[in-house]
Amino acid sequence: MSFAADIIRASRPRTLWSWSAAMIGLCFLLAGAAPLGVNGYGLYLLTLTGIFALVALGLNFLTGYAGQISLCHASFFGVGAYATAILTQKAGWPYLLSLFAGALFTTAIGAIVAVPALRLRNIYLAIATLGFGVVLQKIIFEWRSLTGGGGGLALTAPSIAGYELGANGLYYLTLILMTAGLFGAWNVSRGRTGRALLVIKDSEIAAGSLGIHSARYKIVAFAISAFYAAVAGGLFAYLVRYINPESFSAGLSISFLSMVVIGGLGTIGGSILGAAFYVIVPELLRGIKDAPGLIFGLLLVVVMVFMPQGLWGMLRRLGRRPLR
Amino acid sequence: MIANLIVGGLAAGCLYAMVAIAIVIVLNITDIANFAQGEMAMLATFFAYWLMDGLGLSWWQAVSIAIIFGLVQGIVIQQVVIRPLIGGPVLSAIIATLGLNVVLNSVAGMIWGHQTYTFPSPFAFSAPFVVAAVPVAVDSVVNIAVGFVIIIAMTLFLRFTWTGLGLRAASQNQTVARLMGVSITRTSAIAWGLGGLVGAVAGVLVAPSLFLDTNLMSALLIKAFAGGVLGGLNSLIGVFLGCLALGVAENLAGAYVSPSFADAITFIVIIAVLTIRPEGVFGRVRIRKA
Repeated sequence: MSFAADIIRASRPRTLWSWSAAMIGLCFLLAGAAPLGVNGYGLYLLTLTGIFALVALGLNFLTGYAGQISLCHASFFGVGAYATAILTQKAGWPYLLSLFAGALFTTAIGAIVAVPALRLRNIYLAIATLGFGVVLQKIIFEWRSLTGGGGGLALTAPSIAGYELGANGLYYLTLILMTAGLFGAWNVSRGRTGRALLVIKDSEIAAGSLGIHSARYKIVAFAISAFYAAVAGGLFAYLVRYINPESFSAGLSISFLSMVVIGGLGTIGGSILGAAFYVIVPELLRGIKDAPGLIFGLLLVVVMVFMPQGLWGMLRRLGRRPLR
Repeated sequence: MIANLIVGGLAAGCLYAMVAIAIVIVLNITDIANFAQGEMAMLATFFAYWLMDGLGLSWWQAVSIAIIFGLVQGIVIQQVVIRPLIGGPVLSAIIATLGLNVVLNSVAGMIWGHQTYTFPSPFAFSAPFVVAAVPVAVDSVVNIAVGFVIIIAMTLFLRFTWTGLGLRAASQNQTVARLMGVSITRTSAIAWGLGGLVGAVAGVLVAPSLFLDTNLMSALLIKAFAGGVLGGLNSLIGVFLGCLALGVAENLAGAYVSPSFADAITFIVIIAVLTIRPEGVFGRVRIRKA
């Protein structure tokens, strides 16, 4: 009955396969060697890029593939950060274990958020997810005994198997997790789930008539993207070593959305490019208070109007590779 | 006590309603939720402030010019940003307006900085009405009255003019409307112009109650959407009542349940309404065909 998702398998041209493999290898080599070449602040920015790329990869499932808008990803990010921090600092769990447990917990929340979201589209979905974001942020804020409330939570350096994780360690951990996330995203998007989500984006009715259970796939999309956001949140908490509910506002959710859109909706490379762009541009424009906002806002508009495929789509076109 | 809370809630609710009406005019005709509406109104309000403060115009002159500015602003934004997106996925247009929201906010920040200004109001020093021993601020009465006037005017315009008929036709089915000789780009421009106009009215009425700064509208926009969704986004009067109800509910929840959770409670109510009745309390059900 639900073989439809297999039947509509999109064919991909297999040109320049070795070329792209070489490029990917080069990227990893550069990423691996990066701590040798940059100073502490540069390393912080690189780690931040990796963390945001994880969120963007997850959000891309939801917005890029399934076509569902979410304005509560900052809260998933925040819940992941808080869950990881609390399990590590207060319950004394090992960092990696609490990172994973926090992510699973947030995944469950993501699936719960998806249930009312199933009946909603576009603007209504935007409002409902915005509402969830506000509620989650408020719960973090008010649960003072556990989260420290508005005073925030200061964290000590995490350790893995007795080895204290410094800036380099956290960078490599982020790199490893991002690579795993990339691999997972790549597989899911090429598989049955990714194709089903693409059909749901185009037309839910068509998806239903092809035997795709769109409710189930939407919940899966929400859950996966919450998982990614939460892992990123757990890393972020220990990158900045101080978390506070104010950081996880609707504005951050819009920023996440802008990364995915500017990078290119529905493309994995675009998510990473968008995250890098989001971290680098404000650095270039430091000192002019409103300039980054202006650039990002303008880019969101320009990308939507002139290049719906985003920066990644533009790069691929420049590279004369056929667009998928 | 409870009467005071309700009156205070209505006062807040009518601020949400002003912004919500502007959003709904655009949403109903073009299907696009304009997340930049609040910032458009903020820009028009700052323009009015500049006319008064910089050029020394009177309140009425400045506000009249600012309202025309709002109209032109709406049409220009429609022509530049929205027109190329007509016919594309609705999500693209929503994301574009989210971007516009950030752009307008930054532009206003660059021009006027991030300090707060006090926006004057001709009603600020009038003595409040007293209804059954409860003082009611003149501002609130004016806001509610203006809200009703806008709704009645919009309803008459949409019902009884050729242009209004065209707008309603376009909102029902763009293809058929186009076959009947209604220009979709023109109706969309008119809708955005009207939205900008009403938004500017909302801005100058809201600004005296709050402080005028670049974030004047960000909280209101969220509440306006929430109230609109509560009432049902495809009915003007539903949106208006939804926003008033939201204001009252917020105040009561803040006083009797938990002051810090007032925001969260209203959103929980809205999520519940959306889950049970996604078209809102007063909304009509639309059948999806694609």
